[in-house]
Amino acid sequence: MESVQHKHPPYLLIWLYLFLLTAAELGLAFQLPIARNIKLLLLLGLAVWKALLVAMFFMHLKFERWNLRMLLIIPLPLAVILVLAVITEKIW
Amino acid sequence: MTTVAGTPHVGHAHSDDRSFLRKYIFSTDHKIIGIQFLFVSLFFLFVGGLLAMQIRWQLGFPNQPMPGGKLLPETMAPDGVILPEYYIQLVTMHGTFMVFFAVMPLLVGVYANFLIPLKLGAHDMAFPRINMASFWTALLAGLVMLSSLFVPEGAARAGWTMYAPLSARPDLSGAGLGQQMWCIAIVLLGLSSILGSLNYITTVINMRAPGMTWFRMPLSIWALFITAILGLLALPVLSGAAIMLLFDQTIGTHFFDPAAGGQALLWQHLFWFFGHPEVYILILPAMGMVSDMIANGSRKPIFGYHSMVFAIIGIGFLGWIVWGHHMFVSGMNPTLGSSFMVTTMIIAVPSAIKTFNWMGTMWRGNLRFHVPMMHAVAFVAMFVIGGLSGIFMAATPVDMHIHDTYFIVAHIHYVLFGGSLFGLFGAITFWFPKMFGRMMHQGWGKVHFWLTLLFYNLTFFPMHILGMAGHMRRIYDPTMYDFLKPYQPMNQFISVSAFLLFAVQAIFALNFLVSLFRGAKAPQNPWQDNGLEWTLPNPAPHGNWERVPNVYRGPYEYSHPNATEDYLPQSQKLPGDPEPAAASRASQGREA
Amino acid sequence: MTTANTDAMRPPFPAERGVDAYNTKLGMWVFLASEVMFFTALIGSYIILRFGAPGEWARPGVVLNVPVTAFNTFLLICSSVSMVKAYASIADGDQRMLKIWFLVTIICGAAFVGVQGFEYYHLIHRGFLPSGVREGSELAELVAKGTLSEASLGLYGSTFYTMTGFHGFHVTCGVISMIYLYFTKVLPGKYTQQNHGGVEVVGLYWHFVDLVWIILFTIVYLI
Repeated sequence: MESVQHKHPPYLLIWLYLFLLTAAELGLAFQLPIARNIKLLLLLGLAVWKALLVAMFFMHLKFERWNLRMLLIIPLPLAVILVLAVITEKIW
Repeated sequence: MTTVAGTPHVGHAHSDDRSFLRKYIFSTDHKIIGIQFLFVSLFFLFVGGLLAMQIRWQLGFPNQPMPGGKLLPETMAPDGVILPEYYIQLVTMHGTFMVFFAVMPLLVGVYANFLIPLKLGAHDMAFPRINMASFWTALLAGLVMLSSLFVPEGAARAGWTMYAPLSARPDLSGAGLGQQMWCIAIVLLGLSSILGSLNYITTVINMRAPGMTWFRMPLSIWALFITAILGLLALPVLSGAAIMLLFDQTIGTHFFDPAAGGQALLWQHLFWFFGHPEVYILILPAMGMVSDMIANGSRKPIFGYHSMVFAIIGIGFLGWIVWGHHMFVSGMNPTLGSSFMVTTMIIAVPSAIKTFNWMGTMWRGNLRFHVPMMHAVAFVAMFVIGGLSGIFMAATPVDMHIHDTYFIVAHIHYVLFGGSLFGLFGAITFWFPKMFGRMMHQGWGKVHFWLTLLFYNLTFFPMHILGMAGHMRRIYDPTMYDFLKPYQPMNQFISVSAFLLFAVQAIFALNFLVSLFRGAKAPQNPWQDNGLEWTLPNPAPHGNWERVPNVYRGPYEYSHPNATEDYLPQSQKLPGDPEPAAASRASQGREA
Repeated sequence: MTTANTDAMRPPFPAERGVDAYNTKLGMWVFLASEVMFFTALIGSYIILRFGAPGEWARPGVVLNVPVTAFNTFLLICSSVSMVKAYASIADGDQRMLKIWFLVTIICGAAFVGVQGFEYYHLIHRGFLPSGVREGSELAELVAKGTLSEASLGLYGSTFYTMTGFHGFHVTCGVISMIYLYFTKVLPGKYTQQNHGGVEVVGLYWHFVDLVWIILFTIVYLI
């Protein structure tokens, strides 16, 4: 089944990272007196980081072939284009 | 032994002992599923046509009792005169049925299912049971949509594009349950489409026969593959939007309600973000099949096979960033509009490349004008006209004047009827022997072709003129407008042509139905085609091949210097042809 | 467990290795791509509507219960870890740990749905509806006091319930599938070191659901 015989990635370590990142998000959202826009960017960054950890390690994407990764990257720019384009409706 | 879902049933040519129900009704065989889609979709094509006839009656002969109108209930047409409330349902449901339940399933549900395993050398699809689920879900969706016509308040009526806020407000539109049923049917159809796309994509990536590399796949398969990707990514957005619309109508959400901060344009953006890839879903498979038919009819390889592939990919990719051209007059951000104008102009290029390549294929070919070839050539000509009107519409300043006029209707029908439907007539005739073991009658096929071509152009070409004169879409009575009164004779002319066009389709229907039982028995390869499917008997047996064939060359080796005939099937080995790399793996009993 | 069956799950084509994924795995990834687009429609609409919303959007924690949901997030992440541990177990041939980790995943997943259901009940009780705020409710009082701006509450309700509701629906489908697989395949020991694609494939779906929640939790509850 596994075409690559590798040692399993350190799942519990990843779990710890996720736990810490979530704690960081909560702290950031409620405790830290940072400007709203920067807070937004930081929170989004943390969320994306957590999502990448899940995708790369739990879903094993880091160890799959590049073309499978490419296949899955396709929807993401589409999502971004849709949201950005429609947001401009409220900007002008 | 675990059978992780998706292991294809490896067919054998021994006696097939499945029950009638398993063989023909609840079948997991991709060919049967394709044929099921064919019958159901042809029925919905007929329904869409009936709706169109009523529209044309009202437009050509406003407020006069329609022949057969007395059969309709009072809520629709009292004394046979179509009511405005019913007229707008007709317009909405004609578009809905034709797009979602006729053309899309005919191109994708039928031909993706039927052709992909056959042309790639596979026993069946990657997930046969999911395939079966896809068909039955589509049928359920169609029945829900059909029933919505008969609920007391009537069907949805905000146009097939279902713009909010009209569609979200039953108190404004008058359509309650019918509108909700539209949303539910669309969500179901979306699910069916996504399940189908899953299958097509996995099968094309993973289940090609040894030697069938990416650039040896026929263009019909390339087109169906890119179409499947478009469907996979576009239909979920429509489903999401339809769910939000359903919630606005039922549980009081405010997605599209400007009074509570929602955005009506949000619906348009979501719908057309789906809608534009959808129209490429409606044309690409036809383009792919036309390529196969033109190469066959010209007895020549397709001109520029690689550029054809890249053009298909280019159309598929660019199709995602042009959606705003449906919204130029919506009041959207003008800067955004300009960027859509640019991308829309660019997308004309790959389509033009394909057109020139088809012409290059035919040039100095040994032309055989069999019925599929005639339809394929007509496709190219009519699609060019439709594409040219598209260039007008791409220019925002021009579109300001022609949006929501009959110019757009002319464009739509030139590409959908002149394009997709002619492609379909050709494809149905071409693969009929593979499906049913018999030939359709070629003489009647030619009569049907010429009469259809004639009446179709008489019906839709004048619509360009009407549109430029300012004739609006979806209006009930053109004679109410002084500036349109001089054009009423043209409306009548269009209506009469449309009635004749519809009547002529009886020839096709009869040809199809009678040939099912009384058509001439087909030889194994009646069109002398290179495709893998023609190396099988007609009709193809369950499981297709005993042993998956090896592929030695590309799909369009017609008039090859080393061949005895003017065609050279992909799986026919010539002395000196190298074996594909996995041939040894195949001989290790994988296909036993 | 014949070679033919195992090989049938492998890409059969020749010189190209393709994406090196057997049919069900490739199929699941393709399906997940469509799910990305589905959630794009919902989450994208939320972003768009919030960006253009009239008045001020409610501050984090005023309407929604962040501590409970943070715990719920922790539960779901734990279930993702147990899922991948289950997969690693059977990849190493350990049937016993597969059964344990798989069961842990199901329990955590079901608990997530339970907590979310409880959260919905509580919110509706407080007056937070998909259409906005219910008259005479606790939240309506907050609006009257000026703590909550009313103008965008309709949108807040619409987007919150639709996004989290459909996510919850996906989680529920995942839990049901896992229960089915648990009783038909995991407990009877039908998965082996050579043949455990089902575990991997349901795992992919489960991790995806977790991934969506990671995004949702941040942008719905914390921003």
